[in-house]
Amino acid sequence: MGGGLAGMMAGIALQQAGQNTAIVSQGQNALHFFSGTFESLQAPPVRLAELLSAAGIRVHYREGVRLMPLGTFKEAALSLDDIDLFPVPRFGKRVLIVNFLGYHDFFSSFLAEGLENQGMECRIRFLNLQELDNAKANGEMRSVQIARSMDRIWEKVVQEIRLLLKDEDTVILPQVFGLSDVTVPGRIRQAIPARVVFVGTMPPSVPGIRTQILLRRRFQLLGGTFLMGDEAVRAHEYEGVVHSIATHNLDAHYLEADNFILATGGLFSKGLRSNPFQISEPVLDLDIDHPEDRNDWYNPTFSAEQPYMGYGVKTDEKLHAVKKGEALKNVYAVGSILGNTRPELGSGAGLAIRSAFAAVDEILRSAQNDKSAQNGKEDYV
Amino acid sequence: MTRIHMNPNEFDVIIIGGGITGAGTQRDCAMRGLRTLLVERSDIATGATGRNHGLLHSGSRYAVNDAESAEECIRENRILRQIAAHCIDGTDGLFITLPEDDLGYQQTFVDACRKAGIGAEIIDPELAKRLEPSVNPELIGAVRVPDGSVDPFRLCAANMLDAKLHGGQVRLHTEVTGFIREGNTLKGIHTRNHQSGEEADYYAPVIVNACGIWGQHITELAGVKVGMYPAKGALLIFAHRVNNMVINRCRKPSNADILVPGDTVCVIGTTSTRIPFEECDNVAVTPDEVTLLITEGAKLAPALSQTRILRAYAGVRPLVSADNDPTGRNISRGIVCLDHEQRDGLKGLITITGGKLMTYRLMAEIATDLVCQKLAVDKACTTAVTPLPGSEEKSYEAVAQKVWEAPTTAQKAAASRMGTRASRIRSSNRYDDDLICECEEVSVGEINAAIERMDVSTLTDLRRRTRVGMGTCQGEFCACRAAGLLAKAHACIDRERKDLADFLQERWKGNFPIGWGDTLREAEYTQWIYKHVLGI
Repeated sequence: MGGGLAGMMAGIALQQAGQNTAIVSQGQNALHFFSGTFESLQAPPVRLAELLSAAGIRVHYREGVRLMPLGTFKEAALSLDDIDLFPVPRFGKRVLIVNFLGYHDFFSSFLAEGLENQGMECRIRFLNLQELDNAKANGEMRSVQIARSMDRIWEKVVQEIRLLLKDEDTVILPQVFGLSDVTVPGRIRQAIPARVVFVGTMPPSVPGIRTQILLRRRFQLLGGTFLMGDEAVRAHEYEGVVHSIATHNLDAHYLEADNFILATGGLFSKGLRSNPFQISEPVLDLDIDHPEDRNDWYNPTFSAEQPYMGYGVKTDEKLHAVKKGEALKNVYAVGSILGNTRPELGSGAGLAIRSAFAAVDEILRSAQNDKSAQNGKEDYV
Repeated sequence: MTRIHMNPNEFDVIIIGGGITGAGTQRDCAMRGLRTLLVERSDIATGATGRNHGLLHSGSRYAVNDAESAEECIRENRILRQIAAHCIDGTDGLFITLPEDDLGYQQTFVDACRKAGIGAEIIDPELAKRLEPSVNPELIGAVRVPDGSVDPFRLCAANMLDAKLHGGQVRLHTEVTGFIREGNTLKGIHTRNHQSGEEADYYAPVIVNACGIWGQHITELAGVKVGMYPAKGALLIFAHRVNNMVINRCRKPSNADILVPGDTVCVIGTTSTRIPFEECDNVAVTPDEVTLLITEGAKLAPALSQTRILRAYAGVRPLVSADNDPTGRNISRGIVCLDHEQRDGLKGLITITGGKLMTYRLMAEIATDLVCQKLAVDKACTTAVTPLPGSEEKSYEAVAQKVWEAPTTAQKAAASRMGTRASRIRSSNRYDDDLICECEEVSVGEINAAIERMDVSTLTDLRRRTRVGMGTCQGEFCACRAAGLLAKAHACIDRERKDLADFLQERWKGNFPIGWGDTLREAEYTQWIYKHVLGI
């Protein structure tokens, strides 16, 4: 349940290990506003590296900083190849920042100021492209509209940038390249005679959507069933074991399985729900610990840690979801639905990946045990 | 008045306070030929002006208990429809009787309305349901009255703009730090600009204190005493325009019994709680108030219990105790104009307070009459018959058609906000029509026009003038885009980055008291984006 990073990771790993897996996905998920950095992960575990590489997702690792869309630098390590990682918050002497005329979701002047504070010289130039008029005609100019045009005309854009380039050693571009072709950012880097740094835009995140597409493709290639535009609405449970779930679209055709993974996300993704009195989990009504007094859910300072973002479903040490104080034997909760109830697993993308792999391992181990138990029984018979 | 060789810091009158009373008074003074300066420590409409229902009272609410206020309201109601058409939505209103209310009150109410000159008409509850489908279907009685809604930000900005068109000067973010005094006469003010840190003195023979509840502080600075009683009123904004007519309860005025539609939203309120003066700068809405507002609001329009709430906010009414009543029991909600020369022997200071948004023009007229009397200027008030800038046409559709041959919905929205001033929105290139705020359909051109002509220095200022960030997403997407335009106009990125953080904080302040459901979802998303994706 859930087709975000946690759900996809679990689905791919299970399918690879021979478990027949289905993913029920609403459609949009947290990958649509993925920053490109896998928070709280250091060097990629071999298993993650292999999984991503098999899916065609390119990542790199280095402990350093990355340039954020409003011109600040932030510590980052494991990231998509789109994201440049620097040892120090300075990477050149003279920087050319290229934006598209009429595109308001890429903050070139903020970037320039941030870089100038670090002692870099900046020049901002706007490209005026006829081709983007089509994107505009179909609505406002937003990242995905531009990315669709760029899929067709990125080579022309490279030519224009080459003409603009004077003595700059670095070119900054918005992350709107390679929506449907993961090799494009690399090819742009080769074609421009300066260092090219891609910087994020307002969501949706183009590298995030591409990552989502590639993960889904990989899962389906491995034989997994991806139910797009659907969501689990109810689970049928008896004595701590869930036998099947009902989804919105499949009506009375229940999905039966040996194991269920709940990766439906936090409040924004609707994995959790809130009303003035409580925060709840809508599919299984799992246990969630939070203060009764709503005043304690918030910090009045916007930028402070918000208590409500930490609330999540309760789990046992093996990530079995807990309902009315009892761990459900074949239901695992992974990803941001955990809030920060499991701080040892990290947060954000790191939490999604670690918890997904932990749940997968547990499912495979119990499947193995069942099998040997069964074999043992047969022998005995 | 002699106009040559004057010190540029000398004026005929200085008005302190950039709410609707100050703006209206400046406009009236300027239209009577006076050289005016208005100083405001923050932005326009930051006090009670921008923190109420936005109700264009017909006066009905006061008819039974306060005939004088009722008469003032209906008179001003008719005037504002003429002079401030682009700030007003003449929706009409209903006073409904529910099964738990006394239907006998209806006749008392209608009689009192008619006596005050308010056209109140008893209608069949079935007709009321047809006129206003959102109304509680259990109603047993309904009266139709000429209520409406008014955009206080727009009204305030239009008054100030007209004052400027008549030569007035405005200094926003400029606080009065003290008075320049000679014996028993005030000669001018010391000020400090909060943004530049610049200090300046300004001189005028008459100073008008139009600071609402903060007027108490100003009188203290001048060494005179006015007893004010701050009363907090809490309100909730819903994300949809649930009702098209104002809905009131037909009973003695009480908590949460007015639901007012305004632009794309509707507002339920209010409560009334006495608070200490020290709390005026930072009023917060409590969970109990939220619960009361939703419960009572749902009795007017049941759909409210299922409607997403956008924000909770509170304003402070400037109630003034009668001069001869030191206990404060005899508090007036009416207009109070104090001539401190007569009252306290202090020359050069006038306080205009009390009253309400509805009667701002009348308050301005009373204050200006007194100013003119002191300056021996013999000019009649013309504010009741002269349309505000933007209101020369009666319908925004007509405006939009004049400016753009085939207006888009976004252009119609702009025309409804700016009135005839919409013709000043630059549309010189194909990018001026780009939308910055998708919830409220505000374009690049409209934002640039506001930045250029309407004293905008922060995103919050911009919000008050254009509705940027007032919609469903509460600034999640448009704040950054608008910050980009502001940064460009002011060429100061560092300030803009801080401004963006302040703006988000301000939005959160109104969101967390109602932080559940979709509001909390949106907040989680915003918090994630700004922290992890944009890195602020």
